[in-house]
Amino acid sequence: MTPRPWLHGFLDLCLLAMLRDQADYGYGLAQRLAAAGVADVPGGTLYPALLRLEQQGLAEPSWAPSDAGPRRKYYAITPAGQDLLAAQADEWRRFRDGVDSLVGSPEVAR
Amino acid sequence: MTALVVAGLSAREMSRRWTALLLLISLPLWFYLVRRDLAGQSTRMLTLGIGWAVSTLTLFVVNAARGVDPRLRLSGASVADIIGGRLIAMSGAGAALALGYWALAGLDQDILHPWAAGLMMLVTALVAAPFGSLVGALLPRELEGALALLSVCAVQMLADPAGLVAKFMPFWSAREIGTYAIDGGSADMVWRGLGHAAVVWLLCAGVTLAVFARRLRVARYPEP
Amino acid sequence: MSDWPLRFEEELVRLGLQPERARRLSAETAEQAGEHGTDPGRLFGPAHLYARHLVTELQATTVTQPRYEAGPVMLRLTGVAKRYRRRTVFSGVDLTVRGGEVAAIVGANGCGKSTLLRICAGLTLPDSGTVHRTRRVGFVPQDGGTAGWLTAEEHFTLFGAAAGMVPRKARSTGTHLAARLAWRPSPGQPVQQLSGGTRQKLNLVLGELHGPDLLLLDEPYQGFDQGSYLDFWQQVRAWREAGRAVVVVTHLLHELRNVDHVLDLGAVGGER
Repeated sequence: MTPRPWLHGFLDLCLLAMLRDQADYGYGLAQRLAAAGVADVPGGTLYPALLRLEQQGLAEPSWAPSDAGPRRKYYAITPAGQDLLAAQADEWRRFRDGVDSLVGSPEVAR
Repeated sequence: MTALVVAGLSAREMSRRWTALLLLISLPLWFYLVRRDLAGQSTRMLTLGIGWAVSTLTLFVVNAARGVDPRLRLSGASVADIIGGRLIAMSGAGAALALGYWALAGLDQDILHPWAAGLMMLVTALVAAPFGSLVGALLPRELEGALALLSVCAVQMLADPAGLVAKFMPFWSAREIGTYAIDGGSADMVWRGLGHAAVVWLLCAGVTLAVFARRLRVARYPEP
Repeated sequence: MSDWPLRFEEELVRLGLQPERARRLSAETAEQAGEHGTDPGRLFGPAHLYARHLVTELQATTVTQPRYEAGPVMLRLTGVAKRYRRRTVFSGVDLTVRGGEVAAIVGANGCGKSTLLRICAGLTLPDSGTVHRTRRVGFVPQDGGTAGWLTAEEHFTLFGAAAGMVPRKARSTGTHLAARLAWRPSPGQPVQQLSGGTRQKLNLVLGELHGPDLLLLDEPYQGFDQGSYLDFWQQVRAWREAGRAVVVVTHLLHELRNVDHVLDLGAVGGER
């Protein structure tokens, strides 16, 4: 699993991407992250991150009742969130390609 | 105008320091009561007390403002506004004090030239303000300043009025005008007293302004 | 841990959040734990620690900081040096701060941070080097700088008058700026009766009362408790957005990610 410091800069990016695909609630997002093999994100990291997105207008909250009974807080991406995600995704791709090219082939060092 | 606002707030600030205010205002009264039997001595002591009270009050006010003055300068006030405003406040307070005590002495004593006595007290109060400012400007700590004022008062009281030392004392004008008020004599004494007072006032106010102009200097940097 | 939500909410309020918001956050956090089928203490740890963590996290912004358009240069120091008696306090100091930027001056005690700030203000002259600075500057000293016997509103009047403001405008501006720091000055209360944190809020307001383009702050959060300290950086953000330049002397290093320039006086040349 991805170690904490690596994840920190990209958690918001992953969350926004997941929300773009499908609006979800906290636990659901945590499960999807784990399923994607990205990280096992503890609640104390996940929920503040979601609140931050909401605070900055990048995600919109709504409440719906769950099957078990208590209501859940769902998040959906906003247009502002879409824009930021697009910009961030570009940066991520550039970063990823850059790191790949350095780490990738050991022979290149000479 | 800035100076007037400074003056008003100075006065307000001073009026909140109840204890110090009370002690200083009543001091001339003690001086007066000690010599109440003699018209001349009592009024002179009263006047000297007024001078000491007003200059000490001004000393405290000037020292208390040390932290604020540089910031006022940075906000855009001129040194003249700051110093002038304080001087106005202290002079006003001193004049009020002189008026009050003049009424007391006038009612309580039998004075030859009562208006001259009033003039003497007023002039002393007005000279005391810049004098206290000067001491406050030169001696930044209140204890040293208060001791200096005390020394001046003592010398003023004890020095032979005809001698040279007395003429260099800031409140010599009080003695001159006072002598005319109590014992009579040539009206020249009043003029001499006023002249001395004017010189002392200009000297003290001028040097105070110069000291603070230097100390409250704010660099004028060019714009980037 | 049935009182976890209550302790959580209390800590949030203590850290400076509005009670209404704290209550909502507490309720939501309990629901979040419900989503995982566990109790809050198990999921988030001790209530007061999670409260602090949450508040800090909410201060941060998403992956990239919004880049404010840096404005014109408000302050430029070139090769500034200061000597005290025989020894060099610092030398060769260079710093350029533009509108919308924040600079932090750090270093150990005694290395001249306050002196450098006073040079920027113009209260002290450098021994060598040049300083270019915008005319309108606000200075917030570490302590002192107020008249203990006057009330807060009287300070507004006084400082406003120094800047050429009419008393009524000065008072209303001061009150408005104080409200931004979550402070309502009590009408008759002399400043010396205020707590240290409130007095620093007064100092901040007095420093920016005349709308300066450059703000110089000397350890501005001395006396703040954790809650008021968080307000300070929000205030800095507001200044940034307004295009003002801010220079802060600080010895607290953990908020430096909010800052554009860091000047470490301990590292700059100076012989002891």
